[in-house]
Amino acid sequence: MLAALGFAGASWAAGPKLLPADQAFRLSARALDAKTLEIRFDVADGYYLYRDKLKFGVEPATAGAGVPVLPPGKMIEDEFFGKVVTYRGPVVVRLPLAAGPPGGSVSLEVDSQGCADAGVCYPPQQQRLTLPLPSAGAGPSAPVEASPPKKSYFNSTK
Amino acid sequence: MTLNQSRWLMVVAAAVALAAGAWVARTMLFSPSAAGQSAAALLGVTLPDTDGKDQPLAQWTGKVLVVNFWATWCGPCREEMPMFVRLQRERGPNGLQFVGIAVDQVDKVQKFAGEIGLNYPALIGGYGAMELSKSLGNSLMALPFTVIVDRSGRVAHTQLGPLKEEQLASIVQQLL
Repeated sequence: MLAALGFAGASWAAGPKLLPADQAFRLSARALDAKTLEIRFDVADGYYLYRDKLKFGVEPATAGAGVPVLPPGKMIEDEFFGKVVTYRGPVVVRLPLAAGPPGGSVSLEVDSQGCADAGVCYPPQQQRLTLPLPSAGAGPSAPVEASPPKKSYFNSTK
Repeated sequence: MTLNQSRWLMVVAAAVALAAGAWVARTMLFSPSAAGQSAAALLGVTLPDTDGKDQPLAQWTGKVLVVNFWATWCGPCREEMPMFVRLQRERGPNGLQFVGIAVDQVDKVQKFAGEIGLNYPALIGGYGAMELSKSLGNSLMALPFTVIVDRSGRVAHTQLGPLKEEQLASIVQQLL
């Protein structure tokens, strides 16, 4: 009972009801094979991500992350930012790896930033996922969901 | 009433009291509006301006203070700021003071400040500024977030998301 009340209390809010960033932009990823990562954002209704704020990195560097294959998205004419591409709904990105170790794992780092139509923007956030890579000939690995980011960052040079 | 019935009633009464207490505590803790609270935590903050000079917020005590958390990467923030510039010009002489706390890099802030002719201080905050806004009710840590402090140093209004000009003008009018 207390847990239920606690939850009701925490979600109690005046004004437009908004989701925390990690729920507005749910991130998951999986390895299709040892050379291809598939990264997915499920963007909630009423929210959008900026394409040019998406960045992907992989550790160890020897895995050799290539150029991400991004979906076309929607070009909008932003009053302040000019022509920008935004994503809504599901966004699926493929990231090639030159030398992902089959049967090993990689650490994926994803930077993103988005806003709500209600008129608020969320700070740039960085999330990390550890992805097991399938052995040669095995099918895709199971998707891994991102846990809520521990912190956002503001002082990067991006 | 049997002994069992009265015990049952006591259990129910205790549960209701506990639930009521928990609700009050939660509501107060998680209320998105800090209105009526002391703004001491906010007024106790010192942040650098775009020249790197430390600016204590306490220097504006006694004014009607509008503290706006913003960033250049936040479209809705950029959109409402020219209206702040106008109100600062028109009502500044009456004791209205806007202060922007940018969750951003100083070069980007300087560039945008130049573009819109910013006429009030732009302070540079980092993650700590977001935590500060959270303590004032910005539980989602999203932007823009604005806190209006009255002349006696109490929070008169907090807002996540853009302010409408008539709404802001009306709040400010009552406080000046």
